[in-house]
Amino acid sequence: MSREIEASRYRANDGVEYLRVGMAEVEGVVEDMTKAGTRLADLFGSMEDEELVIRLVYGREPEPSYAVVQWPVRGGGYPPLSEVAPAAFVEECEIYEQFGLKCSGAKGLNRLVVPPHAAPDFPRLAHRPGRQAPPPHAPHYVTGEAIEFPVGPVRGVGQESLYMGLVTSGEELIDLYLMVWHKHRGIERRLQQLRPQQALFLVERAEGLSAVGNSWAFCRAVESITDVMVPEAVERTRAVALEFERIYNHAASLAALCQATSLTVGQAQAEVALEELLRLNAAAFGHRYLFGVLAPGGVTRGPDVGVIRERFTMAVDELRRVAAALRSTNSFMDRVEVCGVVSIDDARRLGLVGPVARGSGQDLDTRRDHPYGAYRDCRVEVPVRTAGDCLARMEVILAEVETSAALVTELVQAGLRAGSVDLPPAAGAALGWCESPRGESLVWVSLDREGRIRRARLRPASARNWRAFDDAARSRNVFTDIPIIEASFWLTVAGFAR
Amino acid sequence: MQSLFGRSLHIRTIDTGSCAVCESEIRLLAAPHYDLHRLGFFFTPSPRHADLLLVTGPAVRAFDQAVKKTYLAMPEPKIVVAVGACPLGGVYSEDAFVHGSLEEVLPVDVFIPGCPPSPLALLQGLLVAVGRLAEKVDALSFVDDEAGTGEW
Ligand code: SF4
Repeated sequence: MSREIEASRYRANDGVEYLRVGMAEVEGVVEDMTKAGTRLADLFGSMEDEELVIRLVYGREPEPSYAVVQWPVRGGGYPPLSEVAPAAFVEECEIYEQFGLKCSGAKGLNRLVVPPHAAPDFPRLAHRPGRQAPPPHAPHYVTGEAIEFPVGPVRGVGQESLYMGLVTSGEELIDLYLMVWHKHRGIERRLQQLRPQQALFLVERAEGLSAVGNSWAFCRAVESITDVMVPEAVERTRAVALEFERIYNHAASLAALCQATSLTVGQAQAEVALEELLRLNAAAFGHRYLFGVLAPGGVTRGPDVGVIRERFTMAVDELRRVAAALRSTNSFMDRVEVCGVVSIDDARRLGLVGPVARGSGQDLDTRRDHPYGAYRDCRVEVPVRTAGDCLARMEVILAEVETSAALVTELVQAGLRAGSVDLPPAAGAALGWCESPRGESLVWVSLDREGRIRRARLRPASARNWRAFDDAARSRNVFTDIPIIEASFWLTVAGFAR
Repeated sequence: MQSLFGRSLHIRTIDTGSCAVCESEIRLLAAPHYDLHRLGFFFTPSPRHADLLLVTGPAVRAFDQAVKKTYLAMPEPKIVVAVGACPLGGVYSEDAFVHGSLEEVLPVDVFIPGCPPSPLALLQGLLVAVGRLAEKVDALSFVDDEAGTGEW
């Protein structure tokens, strides 16, 4: 690496290494990182003093550190990163949609969240002056023996809106593509100008099923900027909330798996467990989905420890019974085995996170790899499977329920407390991370001198993992496998479309 | 309800930009703890069989057409129930992305507040909606005006 690059390297408050480079060096840095096997975790743009700055976030596991490579875009274009790091493609599309900037020599880009019938003044994160609205996105052609079969955007009962274009030659699935613009609420744009305390409300609602995970990542970013230390007992309270969130999500995923395989008895049992867990959330923290528990600087509510001691094990036992019953149901196991395979290679190439990655041999978990808060003092077991199919993902979430349960017991024993530290006004930027039920959630926040948000980048795990859905669906599957694969991924459209 | 709808009322759900949590509560309505079937409610995947449209989310503008099409496909008499704070405008203010209030797009009969409303609140809201639907049925004329008043 050249001397100038070395000179612009520094480690910030958040423990992240920042690397400022020029446009000319970007390609080299990306190549080096990719060759070294560093995991590309995110890529996003941000307007700073009328200039577009692009940042790449790398996770350097097993080394406990993140690296952010940033450069200002001068003159049009930036090198096509997805050619070296395929994980970057979705974000390249995003930067084009939001900032009107294409990487040089870009191939066709896909539509993400801007609707096809959007007016030229449809709000985006920035309009580059003097530019026209982006031309239409890559056309999708289906020819030969295949036909395209549209599903959605209005889907089944209690399912989120999502458009799936299924390309098929009859029964087998040849290709699948997703459109999510029906759910784009412009959350990142809405966050601008808000104070972190106000912003939390929307951060939680970007993806309600990961409210704790995403808002913890957000809080950590803000706390790094303002240099606030959250007391240990309060951090433990956060961790308990996060593990509660993980367990109820895993129960919900299990219920969805049963539903997708038409196992009504199993579904009912899993839903009983889920309802018990949600009621426990409400009894312990005051909200069934744990909204409003975290706050920048601490937590708003202390849990009722007595309730946890009394009811937690019972609720988890209910889930264990379902799991045992499912494992001995052959007709169920037949459906999930070798279904929706994500290869180990794809999982690495696409930079997947969470149970989906761990089911495909990626030994990643930010709680262990980048310890934060209460996890600095805990040993987190990370279950990994290598088959990459729905069964492997199910095995991972079942094992995670056990590790979460053990963590909760440990944390409760160590003592929990509510309370929050006031945030002093401070300007700056920082990265926050958290292992949400769906995997690594990243939030990058920049505050101005008045302590208002200049830019908040939310990257929930869902935004990452959907990119493997088409690969999983394509792997020797038929139509009826798709709901099973969807249940085993257990992602939200809300988190992707934001 | 039993006499009005022959023991069954069919519900179609639609998401106009929720955070996925209201969906989760709606799914739980059919779970053993709540079991809405015992009250004579059923979910249907087709709007053509639906009496009641259960809507979540802040009415994302890009979704207008799909919402209207679903509503129009439902037979009369029909009723719209809005779920949660989102369609009330309590989460997102009206702007270029969302309408804020669902009433801008559909004639809402019942709002169920909450973020999310618990399944019990949803059941309560559904029962209120049944009352509103009964009023609509009462107001319907079962005489075909076009057919004249021929005696027979
Ligand atoms: S009302 Fe609340 S819980 Fe329901 S979708 Fe909106 S934000 Fe989510």
